[in-house]
Amino acid sequence: MKLSHHNVRFFLVSLIFLILLPLSGCWSSKEIESLGLVAGTAMDLEKGGGVGGEGELEQEDRYLFIITNQFVTSETTGNGTKGGGSQQKAYKNVSETGDAILPTLRNMILRIDKRAFAEHSKVIVIGEDLARTLNLQQILDFYLREMEMRPSGFILIAKNRASITLESKEPKVIPAYQLVEIIQGHKRTTKISPPMILAKLEGKLHSGSSFLLQNVISENGKNKFAGAAVIEGKTKKLLGFLNEEELQGLTWITGKGKGGLVESFDEETAQPVIYEVLKMKSKIIPYVDGDSISFNIKIESEGRIAENWVVSEEAFKNEFLKRAEKAAEKKVESLVKNVLEKIQQEYKVDVSGFGNKLRIEYPYVWEKVKKDWDQTFSKVPIKYEVKLTIKDYGTVGN
Amino acid sequence: MINSSKDRITSSQAVVILVNYILAAGILTLPRLSVEKVKTPDVWISVFLGGLIAMIGGVIIVKLSQQFPGKTFYQYCQEIVGKWVGGFLSLVIVCYFFTISAYEVRTMAEVTGFFLLEGTPTWGIILPFLWVGFYLIIGGINPIARMFEIIFPITIIIFLLVTFMSLGIFEIDNLRPVLGLGILPMLKGIKTATLAFLGPEIMLLLVAFLKQPDKAVKVVLIGISIPLIFYVLTVVMVIGALSVDGVVTRTWPTLDLMRSFEITGLIFERFESLLLVIWIMQIFSTFTITYYAAALGLAQLFKKNIKPFIYGLIPIIYIIAMFPKNINDLFKLGGTIGNVAIFLFGVLPLILLSISRLKGEKHETKSS
Repeated sequence: MKLSHHNVRFFLVSLIFLILLPLSGCWSSKEIESLGLVAGTAMDLEKGGGVGGEGELEQEDRYLFIITNQFVTSETTGNGTKGGGSQQKAYKNVSETGDAILPTLRNMILRIDKRAFAEHSKVIVIGEDLARTLNLQQILDFYLREMEMRPSGFILIAKNRASITLESKEPKVIPAYQLVEIIQGHKRTTKISPPMILAKLEGKLHSGSSFLLQNVISENGKNKFAGAAVIEGKTKKLLGFLNEEELQGLTWITGKGKGGLVESFDEETAQPVIYEVLKMKSKIIPYVDGDSISFNIKIESEGRIAENWVVSEEAFKNEFLKRAEKAAEKKVESLVKNVLEKIQQEYKVDVSGFGNKLRIEYPYVWEKVKKDWDQTFSKVPIKYEVKLTIKDYGTVGN
Repeated sequence: MINSSKDRITSSQAVVILVNYILAAGILTLPRLSVEKVKTPDVWISVFLGGLIAMIGGVIIVKLSQQFPGKTFYQYCQEIVGKWVGGFLSLVIVCYFFTISAYEVRTMAEVTGFFLLEGTPTWGIILPFLWVGFYLIIGGINPIARMFEIIFPITIIIFLLVTFMSLGIFEIDNLRPVLGLGILPMLKGIKTATLAFLGPEIMLLLVAFLKQPDKAVKVVLIGISIPLIFYVLTVVMVIGALSVDGVVTRTWPTLDLMRSFEITGLIFERFESLLLVIWIMQIFSTFTITYYAAALGLAQLFKKNIKPFIYGLIPIIYIIAMFPKNINDLFKLGGTIGNVAIFLFGVLPLILLSISRLKGEKHETKSS
């Protein structure tokens, strides 16, 4: 009896030690050294008559992708931080061609020694050609479905090839992360459209409304944000681009900007006076009268004179402030006019949330018009008023 | 067997049990399920009304139980409708309880298998869960109540923290217009929303354990208002961030909300694991209380000791949990449970209450 009691105790104690052994491990653990962290992904359309050749004739209607994953591994980070004499980069780009996303990604296994790990992927760049020819919902389906890919990742459209936006000549830079850093700048300029994350993109795609994606362009191995890409809601394809000026106008219409400048010219001296936005507010008011829909935009802003080239004038005088306000208002008006013409007449899509406002104010009207909203929108009269107020003029008065 | 003072719980413990029971699998899918029905941003109103309906149902259940002080449903049911019908009803409710506990376990296994423990087999997630739950309920209602009291504040703090952190991607326009397309779409969501408040049925048993049974109505009202706040907040935040069109396509919208933002500069950048942690605790509490309710039902029905029934239910729960073949089957099982619950706990208590009232009057007229 006593012996068995001892046995039980021995058994239990040994059990405690046995439990200690698996405690440090995990069923599906992955060592960080063996991971290839995906920092960003670029997707392009394979230009016809490429390397593969095989089966191209039979599959003429199938498109081929080139997917480029940017990997950051334990070795490449070493390269980046050491800097020194070695000209090695802090990242490693791997490209692979295929006709659907996941098989292509899996084929990358054949090229890389690390396990691809996308939990820290921050950005997806889609090439112009690809976005023009294929439905975004289909392209991104895998990324919306995959749980390793976080819905907090950003989406960008690249002018020309997407893969070159993930390249950099500077040794220490990881281009994917650099792109994300640039996106953060939207707080200080009206030339960057509000960032679009995967989670929000899904709602946009599903609702069938047109929208904007930030556009990135690679010049001499350096990335630059240049305007926005217009995605048409019906086809979910890229329709065209808005340049920086037009994007500025659009930001004023939506009032979503958090800061930025208005470069206006003084009427009398033709010297630049720079207005810096401190507060931006816009109100899109829909009017429905029978079958006719019209909109009124009220843009209000408060700001300061941030730079003044007009030497002769003193900012202390109210007349000058009034004149500067007028000049800035004019500039904003022309920006707004410009972009409205572009989206209403050239692209014929509503990317600035007019439809959304109509949905909120006149839900029943919206139910009727939402199917062909982009068409309706292109003929809708839009009026706008701009009111800028200069609150102060920095630390210099004259 | 439940008359010993050890097996009594206070009113606040009962509230905590009720809250922990209601908050479960629903919170991850509620935004999608209700938006699918409503299709406008008015979902939060549906959820609110659903909560009110659950309160009415809960109060009826309490009134029924208060007619028989110190007795659980399994004991007094036979008094109302006779031995055979009462026994049958009790058995059905026992089945309901262990099915729901199996359903919770399986949902937990699916979500953790998908988001946290990729590659771990389902049985590997379910079995430890079952064993720990078993260990807890072997001690009776009091350890369960105390365990829930630990879980409760952790849930509230983490939930509020994580929810308010998602304010960064919140857009009020996604929630407008309020009742834009009239009241009708909103009404369509009420049934779905009410089902998220499954849980007041535990009052069929809990009233018997209460130290002050006369406060049971208050317990139900407070116990449902807390999940009501949770649910409305969740629905508002999820739709505000992902928009109505974005929610319907996501399998687990609430988790996606937490995965949609990163906050740099804090110790953690990502918060979905915190949400999963409290959520697993909530599933655990729902699982244990329903498991206990089923075992208690069998014990009282056959007037035997509860322990063999606790042992015996483990394999049954495991088998039911493994039964759905894929995630759609699982969601379907959830729907079936809900429909059964509407009858069992929406209609039945009302019938039983009126029968017992009628009987009571008869007795009074006879004696007078």
